[in-house]
Amino acid sequence: MTKQLTDRRAATAVTVTPGRRRGRWSARTRRDFIVFLALALPNLALIAVFTYLPLINNIYYSTLDWTLGSASATVVGFDNYINFFTSADAPNVLGTTATFTIVTVGGSMVLGLLVALALNSKVRGTTFARSAVFAPYVLSGVGVGLVWLFIFDPGYGVLSWLLRGLGQQSPQWINDPQLSLVMVIIVYIWKNLGYCAVVYLSGLQSLPKDVMEAASLDGANGFRRFVSMSVPLLSPTTFFLLITTMLSSLQAFDLIRIMTPLGNGTSTLIYEAYLQAFGAYNRAGYSASISVVLFAILLVITVLQVRFVERKVHYS
Amino acid sequence: MVMKLHRRNFLGLAGAGAVATALAACGGPSTSGGGATAGATDIDFSGVKPAGSFDFWTSHPGKSQDVEKAIIDKFQAKFPDIKVNLVTAGANYEEIAQKFQTSQAAKSDLPGLVVLSDVWWFRYYTNGNIIPLDGLIKQLDFKMDDFQKSLVDDYKYGDKQWALPYGRSTPLFYYNKDHFKAAGLPDRAPKTWQEFGEWAPKLKAASGASYAYMYPALAGYAGWTLQNNLWGWGGSWSNGWDLNCDSAESVAALQWAQDTVYKDKWAGVSSKNAADDFAAGIASATISSTGDLLGVLQSAKFNVGVGFLPGGPKKDTEVCPTGGAGLGIPSGVSKEVQLAAATFLKFMTEPDSTAAFSAATGYMPVRKSADMTAVLAKTPQIKTAMDQLAVTHVQDNARVFLPGADQEMAKAAAKILTQQGDVKATMTDLKTTLDGIYTKDVKPKLKA
Repeated sequence: MTKQLTDRRAATAVTVTPGRRRGRWSARTRRDFIVFLALALPNLALIAVFTYLPLINNIYYSTLDWTLGSASATVVGFDNYINFFTSADAPNVLGTTATFTIVTVGGSMVLGLLVALALNSKVRGTTFARSAVFAPYVLSGVGVGLVWLFIFDPGYGVLSWLLRGLGQQSPQWINDPQLSLVMVIIVYIWKNLGYCAVVYLSGLQSLPKDVMEAASLDGANGFRRFVSMSVPLLSPTTFFLLITTMLSSLQAFDLIRIMTPLGNGTSTLIYEAYLQAFGAYNRAGYSASISVVLFAILLVITVLQVRFVERKVHYS
Repeated sequence: MVMKLHRRNFLGLAGAGAVATALAACGGPSTSGGGATAGATDIDFSGVKPAGSFDFWTSHPGKSQDVEKAIIDKFQAKFPDIKVNLVTAGANYEEIAQKFQTSQAAKSDLPGLVVLSDVWWFRYYTNGNIIPLDGLIKQLDFKMDDFQKSLVDDYKYGDKQWALPYGRSTPLFYYNKDHFKAAGLPDRAPKTWQEFGEWAPKLKAASGASYAYMYPALAGYAGWTLQNNLWGWGGSWSNGWDLNCDSAESVAALQWAQDTVYKDKWAGVSSKNAADDFAAGIASATISSTGDLLGVLQSAKFNVGVGFLPGGPKKDTEVCPTGGAGLGIPSGVSKEVQLAAATFLKFMTEPDSTAAFSAATGYMPVRKSADMTAVLAKTPQIKTAMDQLAVTHVQDNARVFLPGADQEMAKAAAKILTQQGDVKATMTDLKTTLDGIYTKDVKPKLKA
């Protein structure tokens, strides 16, 4: 490892000699660079203004005792962070975030893979089935949440009607915090399942047929081919989905907002940040600190995934 | 590999950035200690001319969009030089408050007049977001003697008037007359909860409804309606600034409520809207706002009765809180806009306007001289709400003055009524939480 590093440094030292650098900045290179800047700078400026500047501002706000709507604030250093981590709500919020993320990511990916396997079979109606499975993903989260609320409503929901037909009382999906979380997870998985299914389907269709046929000739049955061939060969797809769905789940908002406006049992980090600033409390500084905690978690997870999980990925 | 890492880190940064954007897009506060504080002095409007237009932010309480438009049209006819832009600034009190607070932080796009609910106006006051109306009331001659005193007094603090009543309501006891008749019960609301406790099993058996009584949705305003139970048992969320929600009386009141759900099994808890559940026939009775009256009367396929809220074992009168929304004028707009808004505010609260608003929504008229003859002929049930106004009780400080307290009360109620949580322990925890909010978010600002 150390030798490789030394070799890389040596190679770098060779490539940046003054003579080579002058050679790089030829008229053509300069022209290309200007074109690059002309194309990239507007986007970089937008990203800087609308992503990184708010991010930096938010970190600053997290050090303030600031009531949203108030023109003045007090600098309190890390007090907001200390208050959050020592609050009675912190274990619930972190636990809810972890539960929601793990179950929705795992559920979407596992069910998505199973659906993709079904859609990959050569039977009639798969084209319609693919569209039907993917459709919820492109629907508005607000609309989906409202429709599912009618399904889950214990008073006059469809589910309640079915259960009454079976002589059962409907569970308190909306009022019971634990069931609220289950309800939102079910709807979230339903909505995002199609995305995972379509991405997995694309991965399944690009698997090398000759390798799979060779495995068949060697006597591997369907299950064995799936476990020993398909799953490892799908690892780049799995890795991609793991990152994108995890980031998406950690930032899930619309369904939670519509289905459980009080966040009773469903207060993930992002929803708690919203409730604290824009809900009833107006604690803008405290909310900013929760956003920074979420940012740190997202960063750590992404780095860990890239450093450790990607090593298990077979790109070819 | 290094490039991939950067791209993915970028993705993470972008994602988290989006989380922060909403908050950080707001303008930042001053940390030099020179910001607005509560207790602003009167503003001198002499020599000020009203602005040519201003925005009126409303959530159309009680589905009042049409009547608001009609009142604005009449105002325009009388004051053609002042244009009122009716802005739907949210679907409920919380959404309009969110938009108002965000605009305050961004220091832009503020309205001239805004709907503010009973639990929001006080924090606007403590943040210096609204102006005292006393000077404008005097200059424009609002005829305050003709306003319903109890409704006006709800917006007084520090000897100043911070808002005026608009869509004001009380909770009402709604009952299904057909169910009551089938159960052989008198055609009236119960005088006490104990009386209703005796009626409830008969009601449930005879009516076929799922519940004899439906508690209001906890995600709504549980802290508001549960004051009725607390007061009836001699308890409260707070007495002045003394947070006594864990007192023996308060615990007894909520223990009784829990028993109706889990032990006696004749009561349920609404998931979304108790008035809708009642109108759908799921429950034989409920408590809901007067603002729901016309909606219930329109959608219910049975005879609807309304009555005063029941009392409890310790108190059987003055157990009904007032509630609803008022109108305030932001401090962050020009004097010209403030004066134009006040001119419209006066028009909006005049007897004819408030009678029209009441007729369209079921909210109470805010002026004593409002001619309600035609309204009552059409909807006699509104009279019950008007009569009940005489026996209302000022809401507990803990609910209306502590930011987020209503939400904490709803969570506590949810624990008690939907998870069968230990009542004493839940209320003790609630007291600790409310005490923290008072000490941190309110007490220092009261001193300022």
